[in-house]
Amino acid sequence: MKFQADKRYLIVFVFAFIYCLSFFVSSVHPQMNPKDILRKADEARGNAEGVEWEIAIESIEGGRQQQRTIRVTARGFNSLAEFLAPPNVKGQKLLMLDRNMWFAKPGLSKAVPISPRQKLVGGAANGDIASTNYVGDYKIVQTSEDIVNKEPCYLFDLSAVDNRATYDRIKYWISKERLVGLKAEFYTVSGKMFKTAAFEYENSITVDGRPREFISKMVITSAIIKEDVTTMSYRKASIKKVPDSIFNLNLLTR
Amino acid sequence: MKHSYPNETQKRIETIPPHPPFVKGGWGDFQVKRRLLIVVVLLMSALGWWSEIVMAAEDSPISLAVIQKTLAEHFSWDLRILTFGIIQEPSNSSQNPGNNFLQIPHYTADLEIRPDLRLNIDPLELSAKPRMRLEYSIWREGYRKGESEWSDDWFINEWLARWKVRENLFLSYGRENLQWGPSFLFSPSNPFFQENGRRNPYLEVPGMDFGRLVWIPGSSWTISFIANTDEGRNKTASGFPIGFPQGTPFEKTYALKIDYTGRQNYGSIIFSHREDSLNSLGFFGGWTISDAILLYGEGVITQGSKALYPKRDSSPLGASMQKLHQDDSTIKPVLLVGGSYTFAASGTLSVEYTYSSPGYSDAETDRYYSLRHRAAEAISLGGLVSALGQKTLGQTVNTGLRFLRKNYALLQYTQNNIKNKIDLTLRWTQNLNDGSGQFTTVVSYSLGNHLELFSVGTVMAGGKNTEFGSILDYQCMIGLKYTF
Repeated sequence: MKFQADKRYLIVFVFAFIYCLSFFVSSVHPQMNPKDILRKADEARGNAEGVEWEIAIESIEGGRQQQRTIRVTARGFNSLAEFLAPPNVKGQKLLMLDRNMWFAKPGLSKAVPISPRQKLVGGAANGDIASTNYVGDYKIVQTSEDIVNKEPCYLFDLSAVDNRATYDRIKYWISKERLVGLKAEFYTVSGKMFKTAAFEYENSITVDGRPREFISKMVITSAIIKEDVTTMSYRKASIKKVPDSIFNLNLLTR
Repeated sequence: MKHSYPNETQKRIETIPPHPPFVKGGWGDFQVKRRLLIVVVLLMSALGWWSEIVMAAEDSPISLAVIQKTLAEHFSWDLRILTFGIIQEPSNSSQNPGNNFLQIPHYTADLEIRPDLRLNIDPLELSAKPRMRLEYSIWREGYRKGESEWSDDWFINEWLARWKVRENLFLSYGRENLQWGPSFLFSPSNPFFQENGRRNPYLEVPGMDFGRLVWIPGSSWTISFIANTDEGRNKTASGFPIGFPQGTPFEKTYALKIDYTGRQNYGSIIFSHREDSLNSLGFFGGWTISDAILLYGEGVITQGSKALYPKRDSSPLGASMQKLHQDDSTIKPVLLVGGSYTFAASGTLSVEYTYSSPGYSDAETDRYYSLRHRAAEAISLGGLVSALGQKTLGQTVNTGLRFLRKNYALLQYTQNNIKNKIDLTLRWTQNLNDGSGQFTTVVSYSLGNHLELFSVGTVMAGGKNTEFGSILDYQCMIGLKYTF
């Protein structure tokens, strides 16, 4: 009889535990709405109040390899990318003031305005190196759940707020636990997927005294030619005060 | 009979300058030396400051290695070596009959060493771009036919000392190539430079001397006060500033530039005043319509014009070039509108249209070519008429107008990183009034991480009495660039 009672308690306990667990899992970030989650994911890819890092870009396109090393200084939605290597591109600069972009290179008299669509190198567009303003550029059409590499994720279906965004539609997987983007698919206006990206976050930066995961790798793969892969490795990430003068066109070339 | 021509007529090719003119000797040299001295003093001051730090470091636990490391972090340099050859065919036009007036060499071979030096010791930034050029020229047309010549030039094309007074306030002085504006064809909003360096990216635009105060009151706004104190290297062989009519002396120019940058647009206005009372209002702006489409505009409004216009008179040539609109109160706008579209696959197509109010009308153009023809005939006659002919041809090639007529169009296609190797630009510039055109190709081929093979080719279309057909028939530049 006692055994029967114990069994009942055990069953109730297990049910209660499972119920609590499910409640806990579904409310890891109960205070956050989808937009906050997207904003958090943006922050792990550079959308901070003053950050600098280096990106080593390796691209394979049509079987041809290409390398670039750039230093990115970013604040909010502004960024300055300066090419460090190889020597024949050293000193080139890409200035992005929100949606306005200019390209300058040594010997060229003045900075040239360019569009966000113009390719940086390989499969990476100019907008990819610092375009982390998903929360501003895209609206959340739908949210669902999925699993990426055994990690439970929110799956955001994002649609461009207007035609100023780099991509028309993005499917974006954000880790439920870590609130960082793990995977993305980019679509054209016609609805055709043209590239995918996978993200890793082994870097760490300290914001307000607390460590924060920061992007360490972004691998862009062409959806049309699977062998065309661009790998962007992020290193030397550091928080720093970035004045307005860094992003000033009048002080850019010298 | 061997003819010689005064300096005013030497090698000044407004439409297609093979490279900036050499400036040697006299006052120019003194000015160069004075500025070299300033650079040296500033660099020595900086080095002196560092030596004090080093000496202090020797007495302190700070190791010399740390100092060296810090210095290495603050000093940076780039070095580019260019070697190129130019083949060009002078046009046998009334501007340059038989190549006897401009005396353009048919072949030119150049070696240029271009180091860029920078020392950044916050809040002071110093930079210098000394240049060394060795050139060999061969003439195949005109009085110098069969001649060849070696020349060398050592100069500082740009240097700058910039002091960061505060995080948002910068004071600088130096020789700069100060360029702005989104357009390719030319930058009418810039009161200082007529060339924007877009036609041939392998030739440097000569620097001028500027004092600048840049104030950044907020992330969207910048206010600059600019004083152009000397023409620097931006002058012709005879000493007058490039872009101004023959014989016009340099005058200091002051400008107030206000820049705004929004989320997807930007705009600037530039008020400028030249000490001989030429005022202008320049402006430019751009709009990122979408990730693929850019729209932009640029222009300037001036009262009157300092340019030379042909006027019938009783002189031996029946007309002369005069500053007819110097004291006009009429507004003379120059407006440029353009746009570009970047294709999804790759490549960007740009289109520009320019309306230049100061450009010649049809009647003025007829007078211009008629006068030029008579001047070309006169230079072989000898005596005073010949001198007048030479003076007139010097004026017709340097009218002070960037473009001779009123309406122009530009169509350009650019595709970079083709097969990870090739950058390509194809550009067509059309004079919509006289039908002449200029086709330019700029191609570079990467031969590894240091070496680049490049070519800039230009072919003119149009008769001898057209703008683009007046100076050259074609020009082809091929070279190698090595970057350390």
